[in-house]
Amino acid sequence: MTTTTTAPLLEDTVLGPKAGRLYRHQNIVTGLIGGVVLAFIFWLIGHATLQDNPNWGSDMVVTVTGLGWVLGFNLGMGTFNAIWYWILGHDQTDDDLLYAAGVSQGKRRYWKYCTDHKVVGTQYLVLTLLLFFVGGTLAMMIRTQLLNPHMRFINQQTYNSIVTMHGIIMIVATIIMVSGPWANFIMPIQIGAKDMAFPRLNAMSFWVVASAVPFALGTFFLDGGANAGWTTYAPLSVQDGTAMDFFAFFICTFVVSVTVAGINTIVTILTMRTKGMTMGRLPVFSWGAMIGAALGLYAMPAFLLSMTGMFTDRVVGTSFYVAAGGGAGWLWENTFWIMGHPEVYVILVPPVAAMLEVASTFSRKPVFAYKIVVGAFAAIAGLSILVWAHHMFTTGWAPDLAGPFMLTTELISIPTGVIFLSIVGTLWRGSIWTRLPLYFVFLFVWDFIIGGVTGSYLSDVPADNFFHGNMFVTAHFHYTLLGGAMIAAAAALTYWFPKMTGRMLDEKVGKVAFWIIAISFQVTYIAMFIEGFKGMPRRVANYDPLFASENMWASMGAYSLMIGWLVLLYAVISSWRKGPLAPANPWYAKSLEWQVPTPVPLENFLVEPVVTGDPYGYGESGEAAQHHYFEEGGHGHEGGAH
Amino acid sequence: MSSEHSEEHEVAKVTDDGLLSEEINKAAFVPIFLMWAVMTVLGVLAGIFLVPHLMPKPYSPEGHDAQLTVQVFTIAAAPVAAFVFALSIYVLFGRRHRGDTPPEDGPPIRNNNRNVIGWLAASTLLVGFLLIWGITEWSVEQSVPPNQLQVNVTGQQWLWTFGYPASGVTSNELVLPVNRPVQFNITSVDVTHGFWPVSMGIQVDANPGQITVIRTTPNKLGKFVVRCSQLCGLNHAYMYAQAKVVSPADYAAWIQQQKSMSSAQALAGGRSNS
Repeated sequence: MTTTTTAPLLEDTVLGPKAGRLYRHQNIVTGLIGGVVLAFIFWLIGHATLQDNPNWGSDMVVTVTGLGWVLGFNLGMGTFNAIWYWILGHDQTDDDLLYAAGVSQGKRRYWKYCTDHKVVGTQYLVLTLLLFFVGGTLAMMIRTQLLNPHMRFINQQTYNSIVTMHGIIMIVATIIMVSGPWANFIMPIQIGAKDMAFPRLNAMSFWVVASAVPFALGTFFLDGGANAGWTTYAPLSVQDGTAMDFFAFFICTFVVSVTVAGINTIVTILTMRTKGMTMGRLPVFSWGAMIGAALGLYAMPAFLLSMTGMFTDRVVGTSFYVAAGGGAGWLWENTFWIMGHPEVYVILVPPVAAMLEVASTFSRKPVFAYKIVVGAFAAIAGLSILVWAHHMFTTGWAPDLAGPFMLTTELISIPTGVIFLSIVGTLWRGSIWTRLPLYFVFLFVWDFIIGGVTGSYLSDVPADNFFHGNMFVTAHFHYTLLGGAMIAAAAALTYWFPKMTGRMLDEKVGKVAFWIIAISFQVTYIAMFIEGFKGMPRRVANYDPLFASENMWASMGAYSLMIGWLVLLYAVISSWRKGPLAPANPWYAKSLEWQVPTPVPLENFLVEPVVTGDPYGYGESGEAAQHHYFEEGGHGHEGGAH
Repeated sequence: MSSEHSEEHEVAKVTDDGLLSEEINKAAFVPIFLMWAVMTVLGVLAGIFLVPHLMPKPYSPEGHDAQLTVQVFTIAAAPVAAFVFALSIYVLFGRRHRGDTPPEDGPPIRNNNRNVIGWLAASTLLVGFLLIWGITEWSVEQSVPPNQLQVNVTGQQWLWTFGYPASGVTSNELVLPVNRPVQFNITSVDVTHGFWPVSMGIQVDANPGQITVIRTTPNKLGKFVVRCSQLCGLNHAYMYAQAKVVSPADYAAWIQQQKSMSSAQALAGGRSNS
């Protein structure tokens, strides 16, 4: 697996002494300093000028302080450097650009505003794992409070704020869990690009979301926390304390990041593909990343809109959602779910697409019905913008629309069914290579079928009139988002881990983690389904002793589920630090990301690859199967064919 | 001997590699069918027996509808889910390979139009069935019967209040006469609450500034709980009320009792004010 190259590696380039200019002095420390300083200055100004208003003074001060933090942090990181230079009329030199891409900075570049898509992808992975850890810890606190009906582990208000933040942190983490790490690290290599289309915006999308995370954690320290649930239904959220301002600020900042990242992903795929990489040969994961990003561009503005309205209702006395001022909670519910339902497919489509790559590689067969499954992703994206009001069946809004929304909701199960067809069709008669990533594919099939079937109950209005707002819903969406999307993301993580880290993941520990996760997940959420069948409402800090035994099982399952994820996290961290070095193509896969050396050089390809077929030519002989990726010489084609 | 053996081996290998899809499919049919049949039967049994065992006893036709829908959907979904499970389990226990290098490639099956069309047709039929079922039930539930008892429901943080406009009674307990259609007119004075009389299969939000309407006919005597199904702040968990379905005679007696109680209270209140 050695690489012979004639061209010098860009990493070895000797840069001028002042390359990068201001970037030389900026890293996360200057970012933090900038954030804290500007937040403090903004707080002083806000405190002096705005505090006096008894209605919204404290809200405004909190908001202004938050604004100072985001601006200051990004100033300190160097997010806006290139813009300054541009405004001042100084173009950046090649050396400056190479410096910004991380040349000659070693591991320090992971702590800087680095434009290399592989660094950004790695940064996203670490942030995602961190958010999952926080969200999981909050889930453990919820399950401890619900351990038995007499539990007094935390008080009501703390409980509500933990439920709220568990929800939103997990939603944010799952939105970025695949589109962040893998659509950044893997996708450009998969399509034969040197980097993303807009490398600076790419770094910006990461550092903006990173600067938003302190708001999420900060809600716990303000005014008793954000208590309105992750859906922050107005007018309850209008009533909430100043923590809700932080919550709204968190979302608005996050939306900026997702929008920038989404545009970047789409433009990269549309314009940066290498010679021969037609859309019909695009790896299915890249399709999924693009469709997910496009759907995000539809959904996220609605999130910004609904949050901004709630924020102005709170702070400057508008009344979009306040009945006394002519507003309506239904307006909130509509704008929120116009975001909220497409958003679950923003979460789901990229990991599922990644999982199809895994299924293909480990059954040594092409992705079954490739074009049809890509069409199914597009159909899901299209239909998902028309299903939002199924969250509102029981709100009393527009009862005449129950039928049409039942129709769209149930129709979406047809393209979703195609995904199962493609997975099972890919595995069917395959040569099953039982490596860790494939385990997660089977678990996905199991979990997502259960998630889908239970979803059909909820799509039916008469049944939803019983299940809405009930633990059944909680169990259902955990089966789809945790058992489905996150398990698919675990398949992606374990599959691309060797390429990202240059080391092999410890599969023995990984398989132990897998079995703990697989079994305890079922225990937790089947118990929750039973609670739902029996009629236990969601988001309650205490409950009728009628539901005692199911809750005990759910809590026990949840604890061991957390242990399972921690074991996987241990495998990831320990293998990342000192696992055996990974060859360039440990899975003998055929897509482009496996044909470049590990660690991947700065601009990925030393010779521009030329693609002559799709990357799924398993079992095929002749020209098409070989994919002459590299025109000549270079460091082409390791492993792969055998 | 040895050459014979190797010849046999050779033949077996050739057959193994050369297995036509139909032969493999034939060999696979029996185990897949058995797994499918067992799981389908289990699913159907769960639909018939487990669902009514778990769900609360319905107190109205709507409650009955909700339960029946879950049963029917479980039974309808069982063969589909069992089919996917059976296929994936069969695949898993079929040709497996461990180790650091991959096995021989599988057959390059890229598509099979018959399978795709069959799968799409089956899922479309199933969706059509679910849809017709749901819309039929929903439209039946929409009919407005005569002689409805009007009950005004008000949600507030964290309390339900039930008003009976015909008799001027208000109460924190919901009492309904059996077999008389009832219309709930629901609103909220502060934030959004969810009016959820658990065993009646009906649910609608209590929205500030709006009156939402749902109807049902309690058809069974007994007690159950009205819960709040929408997170409404600090004491959401404790926002519930007792509901009772009683005979018409008991209902009339209860109304009388409430009336006298409230007039006594009004009297007491009047005194303390003066």
